[in-house]
Amino acid sequence: MSLAKQSANEGSAKQVFAKQGFVHRPWAPLVLGAGIIVGGTIIGLILGSVTDFGFTRMSLILITTVLLLGLGVVTGTAGMIALCQLSFAAAGAYIVEWMSLHHVASFLGGFAFVFYMICGAAFAMIMGIIVGLPALRLRGVNLAVVTLSLSFVFDVTIVTLGFPGTKTNEFIDRPFGIGGSPEDKDTVWVALFALIVTAIIAIAVVYLQRSRWGSAWKMVAFSERGTASSGTNVRFAKLTAFAVSAGAGGIAGGLFEALYRQGNPTLFGPYSSLVLYVLSAIVGSYLVDMAFFGGVLSVVIPFILTRLSWPMFIGDMLFGVLGIQALTTGSNLGEDIRRGIRRRSREAKLAAVSEVLHDTGAVASVPIPKGTGRPLLVVKDLGVQFGAVKANSNVDIVVTEGTILGLIGPNGAGKSTFIDAVSGFLPHHTGVVELDGVALDNKTPSNIARLGLRRTYQQDRVPSTVTVGAYAKFVTRGKATRAEIDEVLDFFGCPTYYTPLSLVDVGTRRLIEVATGVAAKPKLLMLDEPAAGLDHEQHIAFGERLRQVPTKYGVTLLLIEHDLDLVRSVCSEITVLNFGEVLASGAQDAVLNNPEVLKAYMGETEML
Amino acid sequence: MREDFGPPAHDSLSRYFPYTLQERTEKMIIVNGFAGLTQGAFFAIIGILLTLMSQLTRVVNFSQLAVGMFGGFVGMTLMMNPDIQLNIWLALVVSIVISAALSGIIGWIIATWLPSAPISNRSAVTVAALLLIVSTASVLFGANHSNFTPIVSGNVTQFTIPGGQIVFVSQSLVALLALAFVILIASSILLKRTMFGVRLRAISDRQSAAELIGVNVKVLNVGVWVISGALISLAIGFVPATISNDYISFSLLIIGGSAAALVGAFKNPWLALVGGLLIGALQGVCSAIPQIAPYRDWVVFILILVFLLWNQRKEVWDVAR
Repeated sequence: MSLAKQSANEGSAKQVFAKQGFVHRPWAPLVLGAGIIVGGTIIGLILGSVTDFGFTRMSLILITTVLLLGLGVVTGTAGMIALCQLSFAAAGAYIVEWMSLHHVASFLGGFAFVFYMICGAAFAMIMGIIVGLPALRLRGVNLAVVTLSLSFVFDVTIVTLGFPGTKTNEFIDRPFGIGGSPEDKDTVWVALFALIVTAIIAIAVVYLQRSRWGSAWKMVAFSERGTASSGTNVRFAKLTAFAVSAGAGGIAGGLFEALYRQGNPTLFGPYSSLVLYVLSAIVGSYLVDMAFFGGVLSVVIPFILTRLSWPMFIGDMLFGVLGIQALTTGSNLGEDIRRGIRRRSREAKLAAVSEVLHDTGAVASVPIPKGTGRPLLVVKDLGVQFGAVKANSNVDIVVTEGTILGLIGPNGAGKSTFIDAVSGFLPHHTGVVELDGVALDNKTPSNIARLGLRRTYQQDRVPSTVTVGAYAKFVTRGKATRAEIDEVLDFFGCPTYYTPLSLVDVGTRRLIEVATGVAAKPKLLMLDEPAAGLDHEQHIAFGERLRQVPTKYGVTLLLIEHDLDLVRSVCSEITVLNFGEVLASGAQDAVLNNPEVLKAYMGETEML
Repeated sequence: MREDFGPPAHDSLSRYFPYTLQERTEKMIIVNGFAGLTQGAFFAIIGILLTLMSQLTRVVNFSQLAVGMFGGFVGMTLMMNPDIQLNIWLALVVSIVISAALSGIIGWIIATWLPSAPISNRSAVTVAALLLIVSTASVLFGANHSNFTPIVSGNVTQFTIPGGQIVFVSQSLVALLALAFVILIASSILLKRTMFGVRLRAISDRQSAAELIGVNVKVLNVGVWVISGALISLAIGFVPATISNDYISFSLLIIGGSAAALVGAFKNPWLALVGGLLIGALQGVCSAIPQIAPYRDWVVFILILVFLLWNQRKEVWDVAR
């Protein structure tokens, strides 16, 4: 694409953003988060100096914020249940204490403590990976069982062994020579150190959430299959989320040490991890401000209860009730507040989104692509059996490079099973599948996607928690520039880059799935009923665009579709499946006029 | 966030082990292993109930033991109260009723608001319920509570093993094992032979399909929860007084139970029975070996990890298609 054209594109895109009101504000969450943390800390410091609220409590708020931020990644963003966040903190604290007492890096001076904290976080991450590896490939409930067990076992061990300093009653040095005797807990400088660390963690978490890793976490929470067929390993996505969460836990453990100078097992028990999980669910701690709010709740509620001389457990009862409410409704405080704020502008934005969609203006009409004649996908004798049911048997299909192959057949003919088998979700299929000469059998779905065979789904597999652009970035895996993504989105009449997918209807999400699939530039893209959910005019416009895809983007297509008008308008060759077998295959006219095909579609009586 | 801190109690283990290591180990392995079976049988019952609930109502109920614990403390309180002094059997009945009702409420909440949610979302609610029940028990019954009074105590029989050691068979063990078998056999007859069981299986297989042919899914779901709550409360009645019962530790015995359920992959209740007994015996054996006694809980944990590694040989996807 020429530079002039590119900048023209960007110009028009910017106009549309302005019209829709979806402006990219990379700094917005940071400003919000930083503002709340700094504001809250100033209030805390004032309270701390004039009341017995104390800097220790201020520090505890910040430590809990770090714990919740980490937990938010694994429970909020990636949608798993993790019940051992404080075990990671204990591990981090243990490492910091041990290294401090052994003066491992005392040559670093004041920064030695920071180094120990990083080591503690790294250790917690490794621990998380070891525990997560067996648990993460299975369903989330297994992770809950494993993490709960870990927190219990770890607690027993820490209580038995004690922290390194407890045997000799030694206390470690605080970072940067911050003073204070063990009794003198109220140290303003510890709170400030905790504030800086919290701010760094918050910024890191925000940017990770927006990165491709972050999209993978959100995607995996929404659909594992969708994640795999976008070329991202499901286990990798879950493991990174769990490791990041564990790392934040380790950092929080280091902050505990900065505050107390000696570990205390009672801080890290399984019960505390349970409370933290529920608190994370209540506030929605994947949001920075809400993690801080959770930290405030966890400290202020016990503070108030102590003042009232009420039992401390009343606070946990409250968390229990709010937790049940949050987990049954699937909402949290952070999202509720944000929804409330956004409500006013939501309708205008929805209107803007649909306006763009109706802009399905004509594109230059091109003939049905004929292809290069080279076989790209070769499937020989494919068979899939579910118990006694043969979903596919003896299926031979060849897709020629640069063409659009139509795969049609009545409901239950085995079309989607065919796609599942080819894209690696049915590893027990028989027969041979080759893409561009490379055998795909025994390869995982994510590997197959990376080799250049992508697919879309009949069901909605586009998560509503990200923006169109974040989803496109995730799907294209660095294969497309920003300008290219914008161009493809525009070509298919999709909403623009920064549009939240939560504002987009299901039919349009399917269109976005197709567009981003094309933008990923696979060798072959298999579309499973992509036009379902579009009206007739959109069907025609969609067909016009599909016809251009092989030549314009170099992507060969395999199209499953029930709308024969669409098939007729884009496919040069058609294969018909019936009862799992190939009924007819060849040039469009010959296949569609084949009496057997008509019979399969219309039934015997209609034919008479 | 608790702020109290101080060095934990760290005693030399030798105080508890007057024999030489080898002597002690040889003598105690079988005896301890057998003694561990009682706790193992309790884990087995929890595991069986977790498995049945996960199969029938698509939930891993982390609050299960907390529910039984709460009912148990209500019964205990009525028993200990000098004005009421409830008979132990009546106290058991009260415990069962309270546990069943509490369990039913949680089941009703999940069946009402999350009827078709994935199993992890449904299970997450029980984590919050666990927190609510434990904290409520702490507030209601206070820090100073007496241990549960078991309805059975003493030994049924004893026998001597080669080497002269005496192995005791406690009434608790016999009662818990009997209860485990009753639950297993009754549930399998119920599920296979009765209309109620057919309906239960229908809602566990295809809930929406069962709903369409007129099965009242919600009532059946809540029914399973009520029965499970009652059974766990009954089982707690047989548990020997030696098992720790502060609110948190007792409720977290669910960990051993879920490890047992994992052995049967949350699918096979008979394997959960085997798993529970195995875990109990293994922990007992470990406690006889001084070098590893402090880490005996790791045995359960590593067992879970190994099992999961073995179980995930095949790829599993979140949805059928």
